[in-house]
Amino acid sequence: MTTATAFPLESDAGTGIARRILVAEDSPTTHEILKLLLSQRGHQVDIATDGEQALEALRSNRYDVALLDFHLPKMDGLQVATAIRQEAHDQPVPRLIAITADVEGLLAHPGDCDNFDHVLPKPLDIYQVARVVEEQAEIADIEVEAPRPAPTAPIAAEHATVPRSPFEDLGYNLLTWPGDMEAGRLSARAMQASLGDPRFDGILVKAPVSVEQLGALWHTKALYVLPIVDLTGDLGPVADIDGSKLTALDRVQLDQVLRDFHDRRARLHRDLRFSVDLAEQLVGRAFVSNRPLKPAYDPHSKWLVSYDVALSAAVVAREAESLCERGLMRRVFFDRFHVCPGCDSLRLHVREECGQCHSADLEEEQYLHHFRCAHQGPEPDFRRGDKLVCPKCRYELTHFGFDYDRPGSMVVCHACGHAASEPAVGFVCLDCGSHTDSELAPPRDVYTYHLTDDGVGFAEHGQSLLGSASQAVRFAELPLELVIALNAAAKKFNETHEPFTLINIVYSNEREVVAQQGARAFVKARDLFIENLRSSLNSETDLVVKGQSHDFVLVGGSKPDQAKADFDLLLVRAENTLRHDIDPSFQAFGPEDFA
Amino acid sequence: MFQLISDGITYLTAQSGESLLRLFWFVAIFEFPRYTLSFVSVAALAFRTNATAAPYRGKVSVLIAGHNEEDSIERCVRSLHEQSRPPDEIIVVSDGSTDRMPEKLRELQDAGLIKEGHCTHVRSGKSAGVNLALARATGEIVVNVDCDCTFDRHAIRNILEPFADPRVGAVSGNIVARNATHSLVTAFQAIEYLITISQGKQAADLTGQVSCVSGAFGAFRSKALRGIGGLDAGGGEDLDATLSLRKAGWKAVFAPESICYTDVPESLGVLVRQRFRWERDAVHLRYRKHRELLNPFSSRFSIRELLHELDFLVFNLGSAVIFPFYIVWLIATFEELGLIILLAAQVGMMVLEFFVFCMAALVTPRVNALGLFPYVPGFSLFNGFVMRFVRLGAYLEEWIFEASYRDTYVPQKVHRVRR
Repeated sequence: MTTATAFPLESDAGTGIARRILVAEDSPTTHEILKLLLSQRGHQVDIATDGEQALEALRSNRYDVALLDFHLPKMDGLQVATAIRQEAHDQPVPRLIAITADVEGLLAHPGDCDNFDHVLPKPLDIYQVARVVEEQAEIADIEVEAPRPAPTAPIAAEHATVPRSPFEDLGYNLLTWPGDMEAGRLSARAMQASLGDPRFDGILVKAPVSVEQLGALWHTKALYVLPIVDLTGDLGPVADIDGSKLTALDRVQLDQVLRDFHDRRARLHRDLRFSVDLAEQLVGRAFVSNRPLKPAYDPHSKWLVSYDVALSAAVVAREAESLCERGLMRRVFFDRFHVCPGCDSLRLHVREECGQCHSADLEEEQYLHHFRCAHQGPEPDFRRGDKLVCPKCRYELTHFGFDYDRPGSMVVCHACGHAASEPAVGFVCLDCGSHTDSELAPPRDVYTYHLTDDGVGFAEHGQSLLGSASQAVRFAELPLELVIALNAAAKKFNETHEPFTLINIVYSNEREVVAQQGARAFVKARDLFIENLRSSLNSETDLVVKGQSHDFVLVGGSKPDQAKADFDLLLVRAENTLRHDIDPSFQAFGPEDFA
Repeated sequence: MFQLISDGITYLTAQSGESLLRLFWFVAIFEFPRYTLSFVSVAALAFRTNATAAPYRGKVSVLIAGHNEEDSIERCVRSLHEQSRPPDEIIVVSDGSTDRMPEKLRELQDAGLIKEGHCTHVRSGKSAGVNLALARATGEIVVNVDCDCTFDRHAIRNILEPFADPRVGAVSGNIVARNATHSLVTAFQAIEYLITISQGKQAADLTGQVSCVSGAFGAFRSKALRGIGGLDAGGGEDLDATLSLRKAGWKAVFAPESICYTDVPESLGVLVRQRFRWERDAVHLRYRKHRELLNPFSSRFSIRELLHELDFLVFNLGSAVIFPFYIVWLIATFEELGLIILLAAQVGMMVLEFFVFCMAALVTPRVNALGLFPYVPGFSLFNGFVMRFVRLGAYLEEWIFEASYRDTYVPQKVHRVRR
């Protein structure tokens, strides 16, 4: 008999260090689940249900991390955070994490909101919560050695060589290079930004940096979706904003770009934001920057092109091609190059040359045809001063078209004397110096890569959109309400062997209906469908929960096989009254699936 | 009719040797000597020691000039590479081709099958094309071939052998009809080629009388060919060049073992046009351009050249011009019986031609002549009555209208100014 795990998060191994954590949250559901989640990972969790309780707990205990709901009774999270920081003076303060459904509202208080080390948007992503909490605790460990500066104040003092840029005083929250990020080192701020903290606006490049060095961005989770503001002007299309050309008047433009990135970053599904898969990151990047992966000519690159992301062209092409195969991107021809077979460089010098000895020392020689005696030979043979005299018959050619004409020309090589009617074309590789005949250098096509509709869907809905992911329930997607119920059902199963079935409903036609009828029509149809389902189910044992993109039904007391058969009928009935075909389909998971 | 034939036979059998000669004087003058010469030459050939000469060691260039030959050029070049003695270089000139020949040449050059391929944008004529190729050639021997030719495996090796003699300036290859079995007309031509080229030139070679190194397949010492300025403008450039070389003192010989195959015209119309061109050019060259060879007071005049001039004058020109007069004379003198006499003459010629063909087949063992035997009687009639009048027509046309200045084988711009 398998044992259903009470909570699926156990599979994600923690860091091993037990932390002391305060959760200030007025919703019992939320604090219940947070406690469950964090304590299962070995942390000690205290609960506060209002602001005053929270402040009291913070004063009297030493916590590593405090999760503060922004909207708490009596005293809101922001007030608690402000108060505790003021009281602490130079004493260490726990890492403060805001939980809020209203990120924009929180960000509207820029000064106060700096009192938080991180912001977690609601609805909570249970995977992210655990990770953020643990990583914030680690940041706290780092900062014991280097005392924490104010989050907005970059560590400028350490980098006296790179003067402060006026951009840093515009009120944006920018990570800097160097400073927050350098080869092999990230500041606490940068780590925080990598956790997807929505308060960061972008990355400010203040010193010359190579694309390869910037490549570190892609290894550091959410950093890659931040816009790059390039003050050096050297990054070219790799940067999202060329700061070297901006003047004070361009503030509006800068605002616009940063805001667009913000908005689209918020729409990017967490699967992609925290993905470590480069291809998925590219989808995310294209989605957030709202532009295709576009190549531009770049003589400095061995590939002769650079894409507008901080990756080498070869890597972009490799990953984007795999995305094309997966249908997430489509390619549009940009240009065709030829490749040095020796060193894979595209930097080839193209020239007309001798087909025999490859010398480029060629000269085109016209030949004359003397009609009368049929002599046909190169013009120099006919030249006698300014006269043309046939070398065969000594007849002077005076009448073009009647005495003679020029039927063609040949290309003569000064190096080896070979002649041909046309020169050959050859390549010399500028990187390795080797010579290649034009037909032996394989062509390589370079493309612009656009997100397909599927790619956009993937960016917005994450793995759930993809077939592979729908094979298994993704716990990260489950609404908290369901997680608790599921947890209870699992507990019950372990004790009494009473089975349960989790049904995951997917709407295959969502995008079609949205596209044709509008988003409202889809939402209404889906609501009606869920209502229909709910009314036909037993409200005591069964639970219907609406998720973000999927809906769920937890059926108590029956195994998946039974539940499946019943549910087929229910589904058809619930679908009957709908005006639009949202094409619901479902998968059933039993206790065994949670083992 | 039968009465007439039996009368005729009675009449003929009643004749004495002398009176027979009086009846068949045409055959006796214009046909019989030629066959006799053939018999003699074959007999002589039988005694010739066939010592294999040492292979020629010099560098050999093959020159090809063609107009719109995209279909045949590759086969021709590849067949050259199949030679037991492949040429050291091949230079091709596309003479103002409007088909894909230039692209084809580029492919061949890229594939390393030819050394150089040149393409003129306007047509210059075959002579000019060959001259352009000759200027680029580096071989001591240049071999001219036509695009539509294919070669016996040892053709190049054999055509080079005579150059061991430093006096030899040109060697003619042996041309054999490739499409002998295609039609009656091609079968007749196959027989004709065997008799006039394979056997005829061999006989001429014995007496140093090779006067035409075939343009389809002929080899030249580059020094000699350059000495006469390459080929001259106009048709019949092969005969022209050979006559010029002979005038310059070079020997022209025939290499019977050096066999080249070509497609002969398959319809009578095309054949007639081809022969009109050949015969016109021959008349033009022999009696206009190179007429000093017949002038006893010219410094160029020599017995050596006189022989082949007389050969052409009597057996080609004479037999064609006099034949109508012979027929008219027969009819006028013998009325109905004249036809019988003509018929008898033809029967006699058939017998002679049959023997000649046997000998030609004998000296050209590489050609399977057996299949051609049934066509020999037909050939005799065809040659005697059709082709003879074609020749006559060509001679008259050239004599009166100088038609060789109008044929389309040479661009009009060249005709306008050439000699």
